[in-house]
Amino acid sequence: MNITGSSPTRARFIAGSAAAAAATFASINVIAAPMKEVVIGLNVPQTGPYSDQGLDQLRAYHLAIDEINASGGVMGMQIKATEGDDQTKPPVAVENARRMIERDGAVMITGGSSTGTAIAVSGLCQEKKVIFMATLTHGNEPTDVDCHYHTFRRYNNAYMSAHAMARTLLSKYGTGRWFYITADYSWGHSNFESLGEVLEPKGAKTIKNVLLPLGTTDFSSALSQAQAAKPDVLVIIEFGKDMVNALNQAAQFGLTKSTKILVPLADEYMAKGTGDNFDNVVTTAPFYWKYHAEKYPAAKKFVEAFIKKNGVPPSNGAECAYVDIYQWKEGVERAGSLDPKKFIEKMEGHKFTATKEQESWRAFDHQGINSCLVMEGVPQASRTGEFSQFAYAKVLEVHDGASVSIPEGVSKCKIESA
Amino acid sequence: MGIALGLTIVFGMLRLVNFAHGAFYTIGAYVGLVVSNRVGLIPGLIAAPIAVAIFALIFDYALLRRFYTKEPTAQILVTFGVAIIVEEALRLIFSGTTQSYQTPAWTQTAINLGFVQYPAYRLVFGLGIVVLITALWFFIERTNYGLIVRAGIRDRTMVQLLGGNVRQASTIVFVLGAAVAGLVGAAASPIYSVDPGKGFEFLVPSFVVIVIGGLGSFGGAILGGLIVGELQSITTLIAPAASDIIIYVAMALVLLVRPQGLLGESEVIRG
Repeated sequence: MNITGSSPTRARFIAGSAAAAAATFASINVIAAPMKEVVIGLNVPQTGPYSDQGLDQLRAYHLAIDEINASGGVMGMQIKATEGDDQTKPPVAVENARRMIERDGAVMITGGSSTGTAIAVSGLCQEKKVIFMATLTHGNEPTDVDCHYHTFRRYNNAYMSAHAMARTLLSKYGTGRWFYITADYSWGHSNFESLGEVLEPKGAKTIKNVLLPLGTTDFSSALSQAQAAKPDVLVIIEFGKDMVNALNQAAQFGLTKSTKILVPLADEYMAKGTGDNFDNVVTTAPFYWKYHAEKYPAAKKFVEAFIKKNGVPPSNGAECAYVDIYQWKEGVERAGSLDPKKFIEKMEGHKFTATKEQESWRAFDHQGINSCLVMEGVPQASRTGEFSQFAYAKVLEVHDGASVSIPEGVSKCKIESA
Repeated sequence: MGIALGLTIVFGMLRLVNFAHGAFYTIGAYVGLVVSNRVGLIPGLIAAPIAVAIFALIFDYALLRRFYTKEPTAQILVTFGVAIIVEEALRLIFSGTTQSYQTPAWTQTAINLGFVQYPAYRLVFGLGIVVLITALWFFIERTNYGLIVRAGIRDRTMVQLLGGNVRQASTIVFVLGAAVAGLVGAAASPIYSVDPGKGFEFLVPSFVVIVIGGLGSFGGAILGGLIVGELQSITTLIAPAASDIIIYVAMALVLLVRPQGLLGESEVIRG
């Protein structure tokens, strides 16, 4: 039985051989030609519960890439991006990254709007010896217990947020009885533990922690329990769309009026989605477009360029994405090579100024050290200006990154030597 | 349950596997969003089913009726394709970001029921679903259109010979199912917020609901909805990590023990 429907002939054999030879020489030509492009992988959630954040990071990545390519690229090479939608699912994120590295030839992977995906991709990048610039991941793990030699993370982590908020939490919220609703994965656990470490020694009592899967849409069972428990403080350790639904539903349960609400990490899209329900909520963020654009010329330039290109101001995750691309570019140029080892040597301990104060990369865990803002949500009526929906908070305190970061002696990071 | 009801009456009456049903929910949610944020929640709840009904009517006339008698695979492909087009079109128009309804103050309050404080909006929503179920049941069981459609399922030719307009009745059922999804989309969005992918999020559990209850069974959709809702709530309390998969486990068990679903007829499975 002839499966192909055609039989082999001498003419077909010659034609096939000629085609194969042409393909071989063509590929030799590609290899021999000087490299004009360098491929990087942008791996963010474009669908799913964290897609608002992922899509905004993607906008920032493209802004940075366009700017860099327009000004000559990276050591003369144009940056070419390959993209993937990680759907906020670690297995999908890993498969995307594997495809980017093995098929597309990516020399650096960046992205992640979830600690779960960041940990998974970080492991793959370590195995493949490819640089991973983890962007929006706030759990401690990627630069603590799950740190890797090839991974760098500039975004603030849960430990930093909890320690930055400590003073405000105790003065504004008191010690009392605390009820937690927590996303049931590494990031949620990380925040719950970090807050407990700060609050419980001061006398705050944790009365319950309800764990809910990532992507939960209906929080009524957890909110009913919170309502029955009558806590002094309700801590919502949820992010993205999950946090929007949780806080809006908490308001429908009357909890925003009867109880103080704390959200350890928020961004512009979460505040926009929750509107007036975000009023008076204490949170943290590493960057706030309104605050930093007024304080730092480089931040102003970035915010204006982002608005010009996208019509909206950047979220804090987008700012991190933008800076991460530049950090990778500058690291490669300092190393004079795409070799990961040389790049890492030039990154560890490096000090730089981007859109904030002077920052640095710690050598022992590859955590970026930069300031952490403690903020308080404001009602929609007082959100003013052209992008009022995104002008969501007032800055209460700015903490120096080094003062709130995990000390080396406490860190569980045991980074590889290569 | 609201989405599952529309899905099951369309399947039960028309034998149509409609993967675009989630898109009807999403269109309703966005129409409701635009109207309610400009005019008010009630006008939004009125506009959403009307807009979705018009969309469904055009969809039915232009495309879908050619597939009524085709294989389920063809129906799935065409309705899935339309669902993707709708989702991406909404993404283009509204961006992919989460949007929230600006709702009146009463929706942000809880009512004391004696044993528990319960959100006023969820109470109204629940009562609305009861009214909707009653109205749909009345339409199917007590009106001439419902009679024609039910008879058409048994013997289409005979009904037409007796002067019944099965095609018209089928269109009415399809549009009605879509309008129900649109109304539920607008009514549920103050609770669950809106984004272009929301329809798909709710579509899969809706299929689970009607498979458990029995494909095409009106009562089955109600029973399936209650079972799925309760299973998820209870599992969330006991073992949160399992709450995502429990409904699929339940579906698998039902299919093993009673393949036609709890209230389904075995004839439905044979198609």
